[in-house]
Amino acid sequence: MKYKESKNFFPNPDNPQRGDYVERVVDPRQAYYKSRPVNADDEIPETAAEFVKPQK
Amino acid sequence: MAEPVKDLNVDDLEKKQEWWWIAEKKRSKRLDYLRKAVWKKGAVGGNYAPGIKVDLELPTLFTQMYNWWKFDPPMLRRAKANAHVLDNITIFITDHAQLVGYMGSLPHTILWRVDGASIVNEELYNEPGIIPEPVEENLKKIADLNSFWAGQTAVDKVARLLDPEDAVKFLSGAIGWGAPTSAYGYSGKDYEFLFAKRNGFSDILAMIEERLENAEDRTIGTPGPDILPLYERIQNWEAMKVILEAAIRYANRYARLARTIAENYETDPVRKEELIRLAETCEHVPAHAPRNLQESFQYDHFVQMLARLEAHEGAWPARPDYYHWPYYNKDVNIDKRLTRGEALDLVGEFLIRAYEVGGFGPRWAREGLQGITGTWVWTLGGVKKDGSDACNDLTVALLQAARLVRVSNPTFGFRWHPKVSDAVMREVFECIRHGLGYPSIRNDPVLVKNAMHWHGHPLEEARTWVHQACMSPCPTTKSGVQPMRMASATANCAKMIEYALSNGYDHVVQMQMGPKTGDPAKFATFEELFTAWVAQMEWIMNTLVRTVNLGRYKDPEFYGRPFLSATYERSVESGLDAVSPVGERGNCWVTFFTWVENADSLAAVKKLVFDDKKYTMAELVSAMRKNWDGNEQMRLDFVNAPKWGNDDDYVDDIMIRCLREVARHSKEIKCPCGNNWPALPENVSGNIHYSSIVGSLPNGRRLGDALYDGGISPGPGLDKKGPTAVLKSCGKIDHVGDGRAFLLNQRLSPTQLAGEKGYQLWKAYIRTWADLGLDHVQFNMVSDETLRAAQKDPEKYQEVIVRVAGYSAHFVDISRKTQDNIIQRTIQGI
Repeated sequence: MKYKESKNFFPNPDNPQRGDYVERVVDPRQAYYKSRPVNADDEIPETAAEFVKPQK
Repeated sequence: MAEPVKDLNVDDLEKKQEWWWIAEKKRSKRLDYLRKAVWKKGAVGGNYAPGIKVDLELPTLFTQMYNWWKFDPPMLRRAKANAHVLDNITIFITDHAQLVGYMGSLPHTILWRVDGASIVNEELYNEPGIIPEPVEENLKKIADLNSFWAGQTAVDKVARLLDPEDAVKFLSGAIGWGAPTSAYGYSGKDYEFLFAKRNGFSDILAMIEERLENAEDRTIGTPGPDILPLYERIQNWEAMKVILEAAIRYANRYARLARTIAENYETDPVRKEELIRLAETCEHVPAHAPRNLQESFQYDHFVQMLARLEAHEGAWPARPDYYHWPYYNKDVNIDKRLTRGEALDLVGEFLIRAYEVGGFGPRWAREGLQGITGTWVWTLGGVKKDGSDACNDLTVALLQAARLVRVSNPTFGFRWHPKVSDAVMREVFECIRHGLGYPSIRNDPVLVKNAMHWHGHPLEEARTWVHQACMSPCPTTKSGVQPMRMASATANCAKMIEYALSNGYDHVVQMQMGPKTGDPAKFATFEELFTAWVAQMEWIMNTLVRTVNLGRYKDPEFYGRPFLSATYERSVESGLDAVSPVGERGNCWVTFFTWVENADSLAAVKKLVFDDKKYTMAELVSAMRKNWDGNEQMRLDFVNAPKWGNDDDYVDDIMIRCLREVARHSKEIKCPCGNNWPALPENVSGNIHYSSIVGSLPNGRRLGDALYDGGISPGPGLDKKGPTAVLKSCGKIDHVGDGRAFLLNQRLSPTQLAGEKGYQLWKAYIRTWADLGLDHVQFNMVSDETLRAAQKDPEKYQEVIVRVAGYSAHFVDISRKTQDNIIQRTIQGI
């Protein structure tokens, strides 16, 4: 799957070919959201799993 | 034995003095979450905690772009490479956080500056446990990075220029430590420029633009020698622009992430609102000067993180109650935009964000700074530029927040002066009573005079001083702020007396180190021994200072700090790198580890060899060579000879004589700015690190025994005449003219200092300390019972904090040898 096809990809308004890929992480000490810039047409690596909206 | 019982109520816990459980009960849910969320970055007994991984994103991104821009001049090349990091490194926002920014890509990662020193890079490759998954693949990546940087790190470049003999002796590890480069910097921040003058990065960019236009006009004007330096400075101004613009984009990435979370994932309306506020904060700072407390803290934290992305910063010079006070006052007292509780949450998180910071350090640094990754000593209190009391509600809030979050880094140094109110002193005391080991107490009037005496700082500038590292004051002004600690000028002073008794030969590292000052067995008088000691002292200081001076002089070429330069008024004006000595007044000091052993050893030799004639020099030298083996009774005689810290003029006079010789030499050796190199006795946990490097000494110490805990603190258990005698000995030192500052550790009884009576006793002690003119004192107030219980059952005492030397650490994070050394310190009844 390409980044642009993911609901966790947020395109840069000035350059839609680039954007932020946001992931939810829960590590042994804390929960956080992380973000890194990616190319919209690049493939998402298998290690970057889609995450489920957190349950409140 | 005290048993921690966290189910007790606060009153019962107070009676038991189990302050760490009280903190948990009293702090907000947010602070409780954030405090427990932090990954502990300090090495535990020299090893990183499970789960801590080195961050590979930063060195990889940096190296990619550094290699790409290989034809650019040094500062511009570095700026472009660091800008690439800021644009691409993973960022994160922790749940409940109101402040953001970290120099690693993930919360459990530690920074690795790959361009600092190849010897550090090789050590990282071989460090077990910290390589992220997949390990094999990442080891290959590290090997590739190391291969690229081999020979072209900052230290590699300095080492090639050093005199080969100096280089070998320095790298032996026997006479000092550190790295002569700003890559491992202790950079001061120009808080006057950024905060007092309210300059955001957009304001600075406008100043740079003006300078650039002017310089460019001149370089196409009338030819002459005056325009020649401008060609290089234009490149430097361009570098500052590149990095400031990238810094603004970096902050906007956080703003975007906060908005994305708020608009797409967060369901709690309160948290949504916080995230929107966080986004607005990061959109405003660092681009513009802050408007409120959250923005002020966030601006400061961005500046610190951006400096740390650029170099491995070993310290954190800051004065938060002074520079953030206008915003606290506006939000809490004037506009009432924040309640005190809400402000306290922000203050507590500000401390936690700093506690989170960590970088990879080589083993000698981890052993020397057990439990922490740098000495974040923040400065509180003191006076304003006009001499009036600078303490305020934010001073109190910081002291209260420290008791709630109980972090071991940052700690505080409190600038005491006669006008400090009783209310503030009570808050200071409460932190000490709660066993934090901080604030250390600094004598502000003495240290302001000291800054003027040694470095010629004008009075108003001297009054802005902050702790540049653990102990040394440095102004936060245009000409006073210092871009690096010059950290390799850290002397292992016990070698001075050791070499005087070995004709300069080091029997531990087995090489001729110091000058040949004569066969000690043939010394016929104490004066001959003292003359040899002076020569060894001068040699050690000279060797270290030569190395650091060279490192500083070449640093704009070999490393350089584009971001730091862009935040220094003098660099923005001149177009010179912040690490250039030009424009700085100079504020160097030689850190004196393992110092008091010299006075105690010289006194013992004088007494037993030259005065009482109980032993000969030949017998002493022979005993030293055998590490006292077979000479136990003789060793005990030397242990029982007069010792520093007992108000005994016999040894105290020798201490003063040694210090006066050092002070004389401190004015003979000069830094690249042309200023002096005064001594500053303190130790961090170098007393343990050097225990296997310093040979036997005439104070009765054997190779392998822990050295004294440092500064001018008496040897553990050797101060037998009570706290007043300790203060009187230390009061014989001229704390203005004899050196830059003098660390004094004291242990006090938590039982004796309980309640109002305890506070009054402590306050009287401080009055005596101040009257005697001492510049520093810090306290441990945790009982032997608690510390021994923590040794036995560390899991139950994870949050017990102790003062090690110039820093605090969680007791369970330091080595058993250091733990024992702290327990051995005399508990003074006052």
